[in-house]
Amino acid sequence: MTDILYTLALYLALLSSLLILIRRQWTLNLITLTVQFLCLFPVLRSFLPLQVAIIQPLTGLMVTLILYLSLINVGGIKRIDLMLRLTSGEVFRALAGILLLSLLLAFIPQLQPTVFPAVPGSYLFLCLGLIVLGILQIGTTREPFYLAIGILTFLCGFQLLYNRLDFSLMLEALLVAVNLMLAMMGSFFVIKHAEEEAS
Amino acid sequence: MSNPGNTIVLWILLPMVLSIATSFLRRWKKIYHGLSMMIPLLLAVLAVVFSQNLTLNFAGRHIVLSDSMAVFDRTLQITANQLGMVSFLYFLCFAWNLLDPISKESQWFGSLSLSITALWVTVQFLNPFLYAAVVIELITLLSIPLLSPRGSPAKSGIIRYLSAQTLALPLILLSGWMVSGIETSPSAEALVLRGTLLLMLGFVLWLGIFPLHSWLPMLTEESPPWTSSFLLTIMQLSLSFFLLKVLNQYGWLRNLPELVLSLKWIGALCIFSAGVIAAFQTNLKRLPAYFFLAETGYILLSVAFRGIGGLEILRMTLLPRVFGYWVLGFSVSTLQQALDDNTLDFDSLRGLFWRFPLTSVLLFSSLLNLIGAPLFAVFPARRVLWNLLPVDVLPLSILVAIGVLGMLILFLRLFSTLVHPKQEDSQELTETPKKEGPVLIAAVAFILLAMIVFGIFPDLLDDPFRQLWASFQNLLP
Repeated sequence: MTDILYTLALYLALLSSLLILIRRQWTLNLITLTVQFLCLFPVLRSFLPLQVAIIQPLTGLMVTLILYLSLINVGGIKRIDLMLRLTSGEVFRALAGILLLSLLLAFIPQLQPTVFPAVPGSYLFLCLGLIVLGILQIGTTREPFYLAIGILTFLCGFQLLYNRLDFSLMLEALLVAVNLMLAMMGSFFVIKHAEEEAS
Repeated sequence: MSNPGNTIVLWILLPMVLSIATSFLRRWKKIYHGLSMMIPLLLAVLAVVFSQNLTLNFAGRHIVLSDSMAVFDRTLQITANQLGMVSFLYFLCFAWNLLDPISKESQWFGSLSLSITALWVTVQFLNPFLYAAVVIELITLLSIPLLSPRGSPAKSGIIRYLSAQTLALPLILLSGWMVSGIETSPSAEALVLRGTLLLMLGFVLWLGIFPLHSWLPMLTEESPPWTSSFLLTIMQLSLSFFLLKVLNQYGWLRNLPELVLSLKWIGALCIFSAGVIAAFQTNLKRLPAYFFLAETGYILLSVAFRGIGGLEILRMTLLPRVFGYWVLGFSVSTLQQALDDNTLDFDSLRGLFWRFPLTSVLLFSSLLNLIGAPLFAVFPARRVLWNLLPVDVLPLSILVAIGVLGMLILFLRLFSTLVHPKQEDSQELTETPKKEGPVLIAAVAFILLAMIVFGIFPDLLDDPFRQLWASFQNLLP
């Protein structure tokens, strides 16, 4: 049962991250970001005690809440339109994301024993998957809100990886601070952008 | 004897609390600016006072500070011989806050600059020291409201800056994990190579070293000049301290023969690229970025020559360099305000010398100082460094020479632009120079005098910092 939950959470987190990369609708992105952070819990719980494993998902929820409140303030929360046709940019990002994940899947069996022998293959796939999808998001957007989400995804993957390599409470605390600051930066840009539009 | 606190509380936690407290006083501008200026000055002075052995006899009381604090499972420690560095960073914060009311760029500058300085102090003294990478990411995020204030759109420079600083974080942390067992490992060659590459790439991204420097000119072009000059100056200074700390801690890295040669080449390439690109620039706001890049090159060269006096050269240039950035940032900011022009293209600067003669003189002298022209404050140390080059590898000297030549060409182009007005404006401008007020006259005279006096008597600036490298025992000869 635990294994199924672990695997399900792992792939759901990656799928959420892929959806964030592809579709640029604020409401949908916030929901998928929440799912992505929630899915970290079963993965982290597989090797960390409950009180520590809950830190990263909880921070993620706080981050999403901060972003949600700022979007509400500027009227950015709208109905999700799933029927909207994919644009060429979205198709490109989807293909690029899937390609990168496939490459990772192909190379992890060689990479894992030589560079990260202490990290299980599936776990490494999740970490590196989030990292590359985050980088792809950072590299394909000029909108600060998505930049913030891209960095959050990137750091989420890295934090997962580093937790497995060398867990430290201090580092965890610092990364929580970074995540919260990122959310505030995202909110700052959302509000700034709304003010510019209004003036 | 009383033991009221420790160095961490005094120079890290207290400034952060005060920074938050002062941010609520923004409405009362005079009080806010006064506090923003006095707090870093007081902290800098206290750091000098306690720098002997963390004790002070005051009003019949003997005050002793403890030097470390446990945070979660790790420690922060600032010892007496490291307080010189702390003092230097807070003095820098004071210098920028001193003229902040004139620049009128951001109402948050006073409080955020204090927090940012406190975080840079944290970077120097965190253990394990590579965790500082996360603190640097925090600093980057904290500086965003200053670099992209409300009312101006966030452009590519900010995005690239944020991306570069974020990408550096995992590289540095992973290098720390990768090399954790390197001293005892029997076959560490592959680990040394990986660790070195990750660390160097991290520093390249952080400092905007050539060829990953594209965010630097974009950032200075898009951001308010006074604010960006502060953030870049304190970043360059703190990261050079941090680089020395990394070298001091990692024996395997310090003793790599390839490292010295790499640092020399990277340094020379930075100077070369900065000079060549700057020579063709047509925007005044981009210039500080190229001087920043060139100075990063000189810092790396100084570190590479540490065996033959490079660290002394680095120490000698610290204050003159900061002074140069300070004057450059101030003159660019003043010109931007005076012209009410955010772009500051060379075309819009034509004949400016006749309208703002003193600000123009200030700009010229800051550029000459940073280029390393004779008589100016940076020159004595720069001359020693240039003299070290030919002994080594000739192509390095050629690269540096071309870089300096590029900077001189830039200076001459800017001089010509500022002195020669457009044809249709020439008579009007030359006949009616704009008045710049007695305060500015006094300030410019003082700054020029200081630049030249420090150029003639370099020891005046060097003496207070003789003990600056005391904590880097492994790097000293």
